[in-house]
Amino acid sequence: MFEALGLMVFYENMLALNNVSLACGDNQIVGVFGANSAGKSTLMYTLSGIMEDIAKKELMAGGERITLRGSINYKGRDISHDKPSKRAKAGIILCPERRRIFPESSVLENLKIGGYLAKPAQAAETLEYVFKIFPPLTKIVRRLGGFLSGGEQQMLAIGRALMAQPKLLLLDEPLLGLSPAIQYWLAKSIKEIAEERGVAIIVAEQYARPIMPIIDYGYILENGSAVVEGDKDELMNNPDVKSAYFGA
Amino acid sequence: MDILIYGVINSATLALMALGFTLVYGVSRLPNFAHGALYVLAGYICWLLLNRLGLPYILAIALALGLVAVVGGAMYQLILVRIRGMSISEIIASYAIGLAILEGLRWGGLKGGTFTLPAFLEGSVDIAGVSVDFQRILVVVLGALLVGLLYFFVNHTRLGLALKGMAQDERAALTLGIDSDRMAVASMALGSLSAAIAALILLPLGSIVVEAGYHVLIMAVAVCIVGGLGSWTGAILASFVIGFAQILTTAYLGAHFQVVVAILAIILTLILRPSGLFGKQKELEERV
Repeated sequence: MFEALGLMVFYENMLALNNVSLACGDNQIVGVFGANSAGKSTLMYTLSGIMEDIAKKELMAGGERITLRGSINYKGRDISHDKPSKRAKAGIILCPERRRIFPESSVLENLKIGGYLAKPAQAAETLEYVFKIFPPLTKIVRRLGGFLSGGEQQMLAIGRALMAQPKLLLLDEPLLGLSPAIQYWLAKSIKEIAEERGVAIIVAEQYARPIMPIIDYGYILENGSAVVEGDKDELMNNPDVKSAYFGA
Repeated sequence: MDILIYGVINSATLALMALGFTLVYGVSRLPNFAHGALYVLAGYICWLLLNRLGLPYILAIALALGLVAVVGGAMYQLILVRIRGMSISEIIASYAIGLAILEGLRWGGLKGGTFTLPAFLEGSVDIAGVSVDFQRILVVVLGALLVGLLYFFVNHTRLGLALKGMAQDERAALTLGIDSDRMAVASMALGSLSAAIAALILLPLGSIVVEAGYHVLIMAVAVCIVGGLGSWTGAILASFVIGFAQILTTAYLGAHFQVVVAILAIILTLILRPSGLFGKQKELEERV
């Protein structure tokens, strides 16, 4: 359904993504693992089209020259030059790094803004679903986004992305800054979302351990290149991956 | 007593003038320095429709509002979109457009005090011994109504919420399918519409002159800086602060100090509290 081929991203002369290809089928969960600065966020921004927007802004402000190469195919169409809004309309929704909750809006309003692309009936249905899957949010509907804890913010960020009616959900470091217990709980929720909503998910994470059990296929990113790929078992049994991510 | 009543009226006047400016800046971070020109343009278009085409007043008002909103949106779509994100260029370009409109109107014959719009309601009423004409009461009522409508729009409609999201975090809004250029066009159209509404409410009190364009811009900028750029509550509060200060200086010093008060308010704010009464200049940068 979704396929990226030979993605290259340059910041000036620095190569941030080097010939990365990845694919994600219907209802699949695909993991992208790597350390800080491996290129995970660059990859997620490129897939969602935000990188096009960043490059345009940098060009206008006379800042960094960002060059994008490669193609992204979604449902048989090349979308690599589509604006972020067009990709979102097609169902590719990014839940960005560091969550980016609207700080001056309440939890409910964050979700409502997320429902921009949804029809009223869809929005109402999804809102109910978000509260069902993330019950802690029901107690804080009126609290401002800026006053939420990390876990609450992450639930809200995923909920907000769900409101946009994704068919392919891109999660960028959903476990960042969360306690181990919440990490495992959230990984389980991500799996549930994929099954119950019929959404394909690409999740980028540095904490591979909680995410590894829920993925169908995964990639290891290192210095901008996809160095290892394989399904869950292949990755877990790869000696390099084992030593780097599972301490064995 | 007349200080109180005229203070409220003057404050409502300022709030009307500033609302469109603060709306556009708050949502799109676009300093629309053509704001005053759009204000005068609305008045002139309405006058033309009324006197040259002989349209009924209501129809002329509706058409003028619509046209000015389109002009505002087109201004972004055709010109400002090319320099988006470079704030100095945005100021220069929008001010240049404003100059072109205003001086174009002057060149086209908008001179002298002969261009006037009729009041919505003739007559006056005594409030606590002070005679106030109906149009001035309408300024307060319609000003409050406009604030209420805009508040409802921003908090309870799909487009309004999208604008609010865009104002808080552009990148997050982008991920949700909200298009930044489309939102900027919408906010410019909406801001121009509020400028036009203000013009059609306020201009019947005087005559349509080119200078009003510059006056309105200065007042709008003053209110927005004192209130804190892009803050609604701040803008409304600041219009009351400046509005009453002006009426007080008029009563005790003389009418020609009105603009001095506004400029002084800008300077004092920038010295004492640069982000304004309610401004949030990114006090809380990203916490990780």
